[in-house]
Amino acid sequence: MPSPFFFRRRSFSAASLPICASADQFCPAHTQWEVLMVSWSGRRKALTILAFIGPTLLGILALNIYPIIYNVYISFTNRNQYHPNPDCTVFLTSVIEPGCWPMFRSNAGMGQPYVIQEPLFANYDSLIGKLFTGEGVLALVKLALLFAPLIIAGQVNKRLDRQLTRPVSSFWVWIGGLAITVLLAWILNVGGAMKTLEASSDFFIVVFRTLLFVVITVPLNYIFGLILALVLNGDYIKGRTFFRAIMIIPWAASTMFIIMSLIWQFFFREQGTINQILRAFGGEGLAWLANGNYALAAIILVNLWFSFPFCFNIILGALQSIPADQYEAADVDGATYWQQLVNITLPLLRPSVMPAIVLSAIGGGGFQMFGTVWAMTGGGPSQGAGVPGATELVMVYAYKQVFQYNAYAKAGAFAVIIFIFLFIATLYSMRISRITQGAYE
Amino acid sequence: MKKFWSMLSVLLIAAMLLVSCTPKATATPVATEETAKPVTITIWHQWDGAYLTAIQAVFDAYTAAHPNVTIDLTKPDNVSDALKVAIPAGEGPDIIGWANDQIGSQALVGNIVDLGTLGVDQAFLESTYEPAAVAGVVWQGKIWALPESQEGIAIVYNKALASETDFPADPTDFADLLAKAEAFAAANSGKYLICNQGLGNADAYHVAPVYFGHGMPTYIDDAGNSYLNSAEAQAAAEWIVKFHEVAPAETSHEICKTMLVEGNAAAWWTGPWAIADLEAAGIDYGILPMGSPFVGIKSLMISRNAVDRGTAEVALDVIKFFTNAENSKTIALANKTIPANTAALLDADVQAMATVAGFGAALNLGVPMANTPFAGAQWGPVGDMTNAIWTGAQTPADALAAAQAAAEEAIAGMK
Repeated sequence: MPSPFFFRRRSFSAASLPICASADQFCPAHTQWEVLMVSWSGRRKALTILAFIGPTLLGILALNIYPIIYNVYISFTNRNQYHPNPDCTVFLTSVIEPGCWPMFRSNAGMGQPYVIQEPLFANYDSLIGKLFTGEGVLALVKLALLFAPLIIAGQVNKRLDRQLTRPVSSFWVWIGGLAITVLLAWILNVGGAMKTLEASSDFFIVVFRTLLFVVITVPLNYIFGLILALVLNGDYIKGRTFFRAIMIIPWAASTMFIIMSLIWQFFFREQGTINQILRAFGGEGLAWLANGNYALAAIILVNLWFSFPFCFNIILGALQSIPADQYEAADVDGATYWQQLVNITLPLLRPSVMPAIVLSAIGGGGFQMFGTVWAMTGGGPSQGAGVPGATELVMVYAYKQVFQYNAYAKAGAFAVIIFIFLFIATLYSMRISRITQGAYE
Repeated sequence: MKKFWSMLSVLLIAAMLLVSCTPKATATPVATEETAKPVTITIWHQWDGAYLTAIQAVFDAYTAAHPNVTIDLTKPDNVSDALKVAIPAGEGPDIIGWANDQIGSQALVGNIVDLGTLGVDQAFLESTYEPAAVAGVVWQGKIWALPESQEGIAIVYNKALASETDFPADPTDFADLLAKAEAFAAANSGKYLICNQGLGNADAYHVAPVYFGHGMPTYIDDAGNSYLNSAEAQAAAEWIVKFHEVAPAETSHEICKTMLVEGNAAAWWTGPWAIADLEAAGIDYGILPMGSPFVGIKSLMISRNAVDRGTAEVALDVIKFFTNAENSKTIALANKTIPANTAALLDADVQAMATVAGFGAALNLGVPMANTPFAGAQWGPVGDMTNAIWTGAQTPADALAAAQAAAEEAIAGMK
């Protein structure tokens, strides 16, 4: 049943048509429109709808869907520097590859054209490596087991919370969980398992390092932002506005992050600022960025400098939206500052800060970090040929595969795996943010 | 009310259509005006600092003689990345000034054109340029570039801080070099004998004299065989571990230059391109051969875009002018480089230069840099391997084995 677009449908009888069709008879404007809309047959309506949503649809197809399809297709070929050009006689290639379209068609170089890999999943295989063979799976299971005590501790706490009086405080339950984790790590020889995994798959090391980076950097940024926001939210600070404005500087400077990162890089050099200060006090510094662990720490530190103003602003805004009467009531009840922080401030911050945390963990300051790392270490220091460098995070790895090794197909396969990974993470984050809605209810 | 909104939206859409049409109407006359004669030749190059001044003068002479030609010199940070994006978009340079080892891979992608199609023949090449330079720009029987200069690295030392006796008399004696570096570091606390930017920085080019000086034939040969995990490489790697104690931990072109100029290092293991900067800083320098460096040919290639734009003839004329005997000699004398043009090299003034003697001796000991695409597979693995040995992230044996595997994997991907 076709219904006129945008207009409320009303049943239309043939008898009413002659009445309103003649001009001299009284006819509400309303009805005239409905008469007009009747001539809209199904196809015309569909075309109109298409005309309205068409531009957006085209945009999504050209800018989102097509690149994904192109990338997935390339990931199944052997395209690299030595097989750079398309073979336009292959049907799929001639449709998907812009180089085969009449307007872009260009003379090929002397290289062999790229072909579909044999076997099909060769690029994915080489990335994932021996991750899913017996030894790799065993190591993965060992790693996963480490989280079991923590999950159990969380469940135990939930259960205890329902009781009127807790036998043990949640703090001690967590400590117990952590202790069992450490014990388990020692029993299972997790260090050995990590070595096996590192040796078996590029994908694992890169993603593991990136997750490690995110797990350290995001909470660190928000804790730092929270402390500053709490300080600068106090009424007793003079010149609050001035200090709040000052806090924005690193954030504003992050638009020229290359320069700022290079300055930071100079700080950590063997002949750099930090070592010069150390030397003035008789200490002896080292080339910080030449050591994998220190280099990762340096990046986390620099990223903290770039990112805390964002966290600070989000938290400051949220703090100001917390009603003051809650604190007054708490004061009347004799709650300490710490009790107010834990029981009023933090729970009420959660709904507005949680989505920001999740977004920064997935976005350019977290999982997709590139600029700062690239400018400071270029993914180095090297851990040897054919292995990702010590600070080679996901985006740096992908960039190096494309622009240094010209391994377009391998980089494509990597992107597909990361896409699936991030897609799941995003879905999960949406779940988390829905949970937070309950806070005010 | 509904009538009003629909009228409004129709009006809005009509207004937008009109707005989007307006520029088209005015664009037409502009397009017809653009058929004037001037030609702009864009050159992407790798000429650094003071080195560029003499080169710029040659291009200025060309534009003075050909008023309709404008020459635009640009130095992208990463030529390889920039070309990848610019050439397919038709926004690439007309001329690319690059080392000859890039010829194979650029020809494979189709970024550069066979100069034979523009009328350059083998007879012209052989009669104009040095044999080594000619061999460097020919790949698979086709001519891909015109050679500008030959280059390799040697020890450039500051005469105020060290003398010839501070360096080995025999350029293949690395044990002596290590002993002399240790002696220098002991005598001058906090200072170093040599800064090599291939040690402490992923740079396979600058570390080559060490590996080849220990007897490695080359990293990867023309047939695609890799020599990274050989006994010679092992010896070189062990030397590097010992040398780490008496050398700066972190290096780069700028760090080494600053160290030499400020007197924190007595010597810089570098090439002719650094000389102009050192002269500008007023350093009294000497040049000594050491090990066997890569011998590269600096060359000028013509891009596919130049052919598409119809500027290829002018571009070819520019690079012929740039590499002719007279201009090669002028640049060689100013920049202390070793010209690829035979007549310029044989010129008495050029022969009398200290750099030609010093770098020439190093080039005689050197290993020619291959221009096959396989050459592309050496830089990453050798750079990472050396860096891992240098920082101690891997033992020499592990690092060499990993690099061999990585190079072989890369070569397998090419075949």
